[in-house]
Amino acid sequence: MNRTSRLERGGTPPLSHAPSGEETSSIGARMRSRLEAYGFLSPAVLLVTLFFFIPVIIIFILILSDLKSANFGTLQWWLPVNWSLENYAKIFGNKFFPKILGNTFFYVAVTLTLFIFSSALLIAVLTTHINRRAGFFFRVLWLLPRLTPSVIYIMMWQRMASRAPHGILNQLLVPLGISTGGDLIQAAPWLFVIIANGMIGASFGMVIFTSAIEAIPKDFMMASKVDGASTWQTIRHVILPSIKWPILFVITYQTLSLLTSFEQIMLLTDGGPGLYKTEVWALTAYHRALSNYFGNNQWGYGSAWAVILVIIGVAAASIYMRVFKFDELVQEPKIDLL
Amino acid sequence: MKVKLENLSKRWGKVVGADCINLDIGDGEFVAFLGPSGCGKTTTLLMVAGIYKPTEGYIRFDDRVVNYLAPKDRNIGMVFQSYALYPHMTAFQNISYPLKLQKTPKEEMKKRAQKVADMMDIGHLMDRKPAQLSGGQQQRVALGRALIKEPQLLLFDEPLSNLDARLRLTMRAEIKRLQVDLGVTSVYVTHDQVEAMTMADRVAVMKEGKLQAYSPPDELYDQPRTLFVAGFVGSPPMNFLDVEVVRENGDYHARRKGFDAVVPSDRGEKAAGKGNVILGIRPENITIANVGVSGEIYVVEPLGRDDLITVHIGEASVHVLSDPTLGLRMGQTVTLGFNTHKVQFFDPQTEKSLLWMD
Amino acid sequence: MTLKQKIGAAIPYVILVITVLPIVVGYFWLVLSSFSVSTEGLRSTGFTLSNWSFLREPPFGRGYPSIWRVTFNTFVVAISMTLTVVIVSSLAGYALSRLNFPGRKSFLSLTLLLHAFPSVTLLIGIYFVLRALGLYNTLLGVGMVMIGFELPFGIWLMKGFFDNVSWDMERAALIDGASRFRVWGEIILPTVKPGLAALAIFAFISGWNAWLIPRTFTIGAGQQATLSVFLNNFRSDTVAVQWGTVTAVGLFQLVPVAIFFIFTQDLLLSIYAGGAKGGT
Repeated sequence: MNRTSRLERGGTPPLSHAPSGEETSSIGARMRSRLEAYGFLSPAVLLVTLFFFIPVIIIFILILSDLKSANFGTLQWWLPVNWSLENYAKIFGNKFFPKILGNTFFYVAVTLTLFIFSSALLIAVLTTHINRRAGFFFRVLWLLPRLTPSVIYIMMWQRMASRAPHGILNQLLVPLGISTGGDLIQAAPWLFVIIANGMIGASFGMVIFTSAIEAIPKDFMMASKVDGASTWQTIRHVILPSIKWPILFVITYQTLSLLTSFEQIMLLTDGGPGLYKTEVWALTAYHRALSNYFGNNQWGYGSAWAVILVIIGVAAASIYMRVFKFDELVQEPKIDLL
Repeated sequence: MKVKLENLSKRWGKVVGADCINLDIGDGEFVAFLGPSGCGKTTTLLMVAGIYKPTEGYIRFDDRVVNYLAPKDRNIGMVFQSYALYPHMTAFQNISYPLKLQKTPKEEMKKRAQKVADMMDIGHLMDRKPAQLSGGQQQRVALGRALIKEPQLLLFDEPLSNLDARLRLTMRAEIKRLQVDLGVTSVYVTHDQVEAMTMADRVAVMKEGKLQAYSPPDELYDQPRTLFVAGFVGSPPMNFLDVEVVRENGDYHARRKGFDAVVPSDRGEKAAGKGNVILGIRPENITIANVGVSGEIYVVEPLGRDDLITVHIGEASVHVLSDPTLGLRMGQTVTLGFNTHKVQFFDPQTEKSLLWMD
Repeated sequence: MTLKQKIGAAIPYVILVITVLPIVVGYFWLVLSSFSVSTEGLRSTGFTLSNWSFLREPPFGRGYPSIWRVTFNTFVVAISMTLTVVIVSSLAGYALSRLNFPGRKSFLSLTLLLHAFPSVTLLIGIYFVLRALGLYNTLLGVGMVMIGFELPFGIWLMKGFFDNVSWDMERAALIDGASRFRVWGEIILPTVKPGLAALAIFAFISGWNAWLIPRTFTIGAGQQATLSVFLNNFRSDTVAVQWGTVTAVGLFQLVPVAIFFIFTQDLLLSIYAGGAKGGT
């Protein structure tokens, strides 16, 4: 990282015959240029401070306190005397803790394998091997779940699964004798949680895989066809190896997204039916801290749950920055500031 | 305006862009920076423009140090290889942009833009956007934009290398003429030695960030100070042979296996007794003759006016420019005469000339 | 083509049609229901326009704000969010791509890290920030939080676009006499118009669709509600859901997004793809 070290270096060292006043003009110029750079950045810095830095500081204090609606205004949560690790004892002692942990792993692993990876790849491969316009059309359709307001998107799934005679699936399944006509989300909540989230997540992988596949030189594909490879062999020996990096990128990125996302689950099952059936980690944190579902906002306790996600997220992000060579994304400016 | 570079260096960490450049440019002079890509010529030019800050050293305009002067305060005009026109503005808007920034009144802006456009012969294109102009037209607009401020220094960064060969020739002549007419001090960066030699009053040859030579074109051609300059300037390039120069019976002989040539004593004496030295001789200074060194023709490449022939002399080979009417063929044995009044000698270790270094 | 080849060529289409079926069926039902007395499966029990009466009078009873008030809220949030995100991101993205200053690299890695930050964590902390600023349960507060959340993506997207702008053009402008700020505004911004458009579309859609943030920082379906909050309130009400009205309101919310989407799908697909390179 030698090239970056020029940030720290100053301007020209003064020579003995240098006209006086040169150094001051250099310092003045550098001051001015830095002010210029910070001027460009200041609105972003302000917003990032307000909505990222300060909240992060707050939450790291909150995890040590027992702040909740009941003692809000009386508990001086910012004072170290009121700090303890009680919240973590409570989390690990919670009898639903293993259940929630299991739910989270199950949800992330299954959604990732079935949709983010398999379906996304399947659609990318299929849509790049058919008529261009048709392929484009299907990809646009797949993008819809991501762009539809989540409230409406989840509403569609609920209707899809609701009980006879209203439910769309039951209209088909009841005559076939597969379903007795009850609410299908009650019967198989995970199935719907995973499909609904998976279809949103898959579009991300799909788009990235598609552009990666389209970037594979045509000669490569031709050569493999000339060599008499079957479609499956082409996929295995030409396409998959060429899109290794996009695959890794999508998997790491989406693991993190799935781990921290909860909006759709909240809308679809809200962690139910029943106790903690589909409650994942992030949703637990939200429920404790921000939803007065249980009649009480337990900010301290909820933060304690959330911070575990932060640690996982930051660890994953730093590995991810290393793997994807963050440094190479940062090119050096080719104009020196005055 | 005079320009002076003093111990000018640019480094990014360990990467060296320009290394201790010392150079004077006289008022109204046309100077070319010549060198292969990555030699530091553009870096140096950008320091003169104020885009890069020097790591060390000084840039003086008429004795005034301008290291900390912003580009806009240097009163310079610059033309880029990529033209660097603003794609969303018309040719007129591009040309008059410097005046707009100076808050010039509309009427005067129009008048001056018109004058420049007439000079560049692009008056009829002023309403077009860059995308609707050919490469040559774009470069004229770019030139117009550089000239409209009536700058005291014009900088060119390979302005012709994106043009096709014919157009390059026309523009080359035009730029030279324009520079003389306007009498404005100019620095012209190029990797094309023909451009540098034909246009410039003086040529600064650079390699790996260092200034190799700085002299008028003919001097550069006839008295190259380093092996690099000798090899870089001139097309086809100079031939180099490892020889030993010895004195015999009052004559100086340059010798190697299968090669023996008598060299003029003023040149020979500087290379004699130094062990192995490098002899340099340009292809046009070797002729097909009746007496001399014999060799075998390896390949004949017709260039039109001349044939470029490669001749093997023992283990060495030389390029020779010869008359196509001789009808030389591959494999033929020929005798080569060396015009030794034009030979150069270089030290193989330091790669410096034995003739022209003081 | 032999029959076997024909079947082979049809297989991809069959698979694709089956996989997109839930999406198509979902949208079909949404439209059908909004014009039906009620639906059973994909069957309408009768055509009606009464579901759309919310356009004239407040739906779901007098106690709630009219649809126009809610639409206005959503529009104000989405538009001000779009404008701010585009301006702030293109300022910051320019500085990070083009200017040399101490802290540049750390700021860049920081924005990437922020992007990976679990939103639930931030939401808890922001709750206190908004209370302290007196912005809890206000549209301004909601808008600001959404701007903040969109910024890391916006900054990276714009940085990526600025990275590809010719350096010579910027140098030329500096020599012509422009300040850095004018270079940004007059020379660089016009050349990254596709990037600005893409970011604006993303920001608008996410602002228009937003549910979680308004839901967390405003109370119920009151005067501060946005469309998603409003809609969800009546979707999950304990009393019998008026599906016809709910779907009509949903369709009403979907229309601007759909229009945006139809005109910009090309751009969106390519930007999503470019995101892989930009590290978003």
